[in-house]
Order: sequence, then structure tokens, then C-alpha cells
Amino acid sequence: MTLRSQVLELPDSPEAVFQAFCEREWCDGLPIIPPTPERVEAMLASVAGDAEESLGPLPPLWREATLEKLAVNSVMAGCLPEFFPVVLAAVEAMLDPAFNLYGVQATTHPVAPLLILNGPYARTIGMQSGAGCFGPGFRANATIGRALRLILMNVGGGWPGGHDMATHGSPAKYSYAIAENESASPWASHHVELGYAANQSVVTVFGGEAPHNVNDHVSTRAAGILHTASDTAATLGSNVKWYLSQSQLLIVLGPEHAATIAADGFSKDDVKVFVFEHARLPLGTLKLGGMWGIQEWPDWMLAVTDDRALLPSVASPEEILVVVAGGAGKHSAVVPNCTFSRAVHRPLTRLRA
Amino acid sequence: MSPPDCIRVLSPVGEVRRRVLTAPALPPDLRGKTIGFLDNTKPNFDKLVAEMAGLLRERFGVKAVVHRRKANASTPAAPEILAELAKACDLVLAGSAD
Repeated sequence: MTLRSQVLELPDSPEAVFQAFCEREWCDGLPIIPPTPERVEAMLASVAGDAEESLGPLPPLWREATLEKLAVNSVMAGCLPEFFPVVLAAVEAMLDPAFNLYGVQATTHPVAPLLILNGPYARTIGMQSGAGCFGPGFRANATIGRALRLILMNVGGGWPGGHDMATHGSPAKYSYAIAENESASPWASHHVELGYAANQSVVTVFGGEAPHNVNDHVSTRAAGILHTASDTAATLGSNVKWYLSQSQLLIVLGPEHAATIAADGFSKDDVKVFVFEHARLPLGTLKLGGMWGIQEWPDWMLAVTDDRALLPSVASPEEILVVVAGGAGKHSAVVPNCTFSRAVHRPLTRLRA
Repeated sequence: MSPPDCIRVLSPVGEVRRRVLTAPALPPDLRGKTIGFLDNTKPNFDKLVAEMAGLLRERFGVKAVVHRRKANASTPAAPEILAELAKACDLVLAGSAD
């Protein structure tokens, strides 16, 4: 296998390699696995495709996402070779024009691509879908999400304060990857809803904020939990609703909340309609700040004059994604998108048989 | 072969393959030229354009100013807007005013 990347010779100590990569602004501030040619070759051997093959130029600096560069960054992140097909599918998805990666990389908004893995491969590689799935402790989640961030920084060129102009950034920019808890879901899982077979493995990328907590410890009916979720979703400071045509909401229901909602006879579509109808703010509240005056709204919303009128956060119930994830407890999460990027999904196609 | 006690590692930085386009030099004199502004919709950019348009006409003899607005700040300008500005203008200014 011929690798083309520039080779550095560094003192063979973890501290020296880490220091060298930090000095060059080649890492996220956390220690890395040294990307030796042998480790990069092992990563590449896990997928179909040549090292030189590019998935496309990555914004904002339009540098090529070659399999070799994606592998170098995945090694650095601590990925096992079997994680690499997931990283590739996510990069393919982020390069779909609908994801608007240029905007996601360059904006002042604290957006990070959330990776959601569906299907059997999540279980094969131990991607956490249960307790603490957004948090630390799980190598697949932590390193796959971190690999995406290193790729966005080192290949795309999105360095904080440079081409990544996020005002604060976000903890989600370190790593943001989960699997759906399919076995705990009372409904068809997200990828089946998209038209894939249950035994296919599919990556979805969602340009979202960090999760907003939905604490409902008291409701025993669907309506109570979904009122709490809707209220969490409808806030003046969120981008969602201002650029309506690309506003999307991801509702991550904890298994206990999902069970309560389903026991009330709600389908997943019912959940979406309920949140669509209730995640609303009155016109008078919207006039207080946020992006009032520069919003991108359809004509019917711009024509509303009654300050009591409740205006929607997304254009239709179909713009609300619902997945089940997490462990025991009466919590769910709302992830608003950045409103200039749409969720994109890709099946895992590069698994080497 | 690496020296003893050294490790060989690969750079993670991507490389550009696309052909690099070079922007033409700015016109030395703006007299009689048409200047475009690509408005990113952020607050006050429209006011900035109005002010600058006046200055460009009065002080630099600019013939015309074309002001076009994107759909929103974070998505690319529509292809038809770019085509129109490219056809009508000698120089286009894009910027943010937030």
C-alpha cells in the first residue's frame, strides 16, 4: 500500500508526539494515538477503496477527504479499524449538499454534526445506545465522534477562531455520536422509517446543538411528556423557527418516556404531530429578540399580526425526527438543528466482506 | 529507516486538488463602473450598503450599484443571484455586518 502523506520523524514518546501535534494545531487538545504508517494501513484495510480515493473536497478550505487522510485522523482519534466504515459513511453524508457543511463549519452557531448509527453494526462495534450514550465511557462513541471532529479540523480546515467561527463552540464538538436503542423502542427504528431494512446499518448526520434536557418525572400520559418536550423545543434563543424552511428538531426519547407515550396509543407519527402543534411561541414573544426582523419565513407567517398567534418551530411534522436512546430514568432530550443544514443518511457500504 | 528512538508518523492535514482560481486584479479606477453588494441578511448590512453606495457615487464616480440579498446568512447565495452579479458588475463586495 502506498501512502502519500508527509512523514514526520519525532521522538518516540507519547508526550513528544502529543506536543508536536498540538504545536502544529493538528489535534483537539487531547492526547492522540500516533498515526504511524502501519496503523493507518490497518485502518484502511478495514474498508473497500484505495487510499488515494477522495470522498470529495471538505470545506471551508476544500481539501480532499482521501481515505488515507480520513484513516490518519481516525487513528489519531483512537478508532479501531472496524469503526472506520462508520466514519466514512458519516463523511459521505456530511458532503451531501443538503447538509451544507460549509455553513456548519464556518458559522458562529455552536453546531456539531451528531452521528446516529442504526442497524446491527452498532451492536457489532459496541456503539452505546443506552445509559449515558451522549456522555463518556464508550470507545466507539467517543472515538468515532472524535474522528469526525479531527477530520473537520485537519482536512476541512475548521480551526476554532479561524475558519470555524463559532462564538463559544460546544462540548459536542469534541465528539457527538450515539446509536439508537432499537431494542428499547416501541416503534420502528429511524432507519426503517427511512425505508431501509432492519438488518441494514445506516448512519444519519444531524447538524445540531448539544442536547437540551427534557425532565418529566410526573407525567403518566403521552400528552404530559410531549408538552414538556415541546416546551423545551420552543425557545427564543434557538435558531429553530427563524429559518423555517430548514428548521428540524430531533427528539431523543428515553426508553421510559417512549414506553409511556406508546402505551397511550401514540405512533411515532402521532409524536411528531403533537410536537409540531405544541412546540410554538406566540408572535408577541418572537418580537422580543432572537432573529426578529431577519427571519426567513413563508408569506403566511409574515402576514400574521395577532401577537397571541402561536407560530410553528418547523414547517411540518415531517421535519421532526424521533429516535429512542438512553437508559433508565425520566429524561429525554431535544436537539434543535442549526437551521441551515438538513439531516442526511447513508448506509454503510464500505464494509470489507 | 528512522533513527533509533524515533517514530514515523503521518500528517493528518488534507491537500487541495482543485484548480486554484486567481481573482482578477481590482480595477485601478472605479469611474463608470458598476459595483455589486451581496447582502448576507445580517442586521444593518442594508444600511451599510446604502451609505457606501452614496460614497462610491459621489467620491469615486461609480456609475451604478446593484444590491442583492441572500435567502439567509448561512446558506450560499442562489446561483441566479451570482450569475446576475457576475454579468452586471465590474466588482462585487460580499460581507457581514453583524
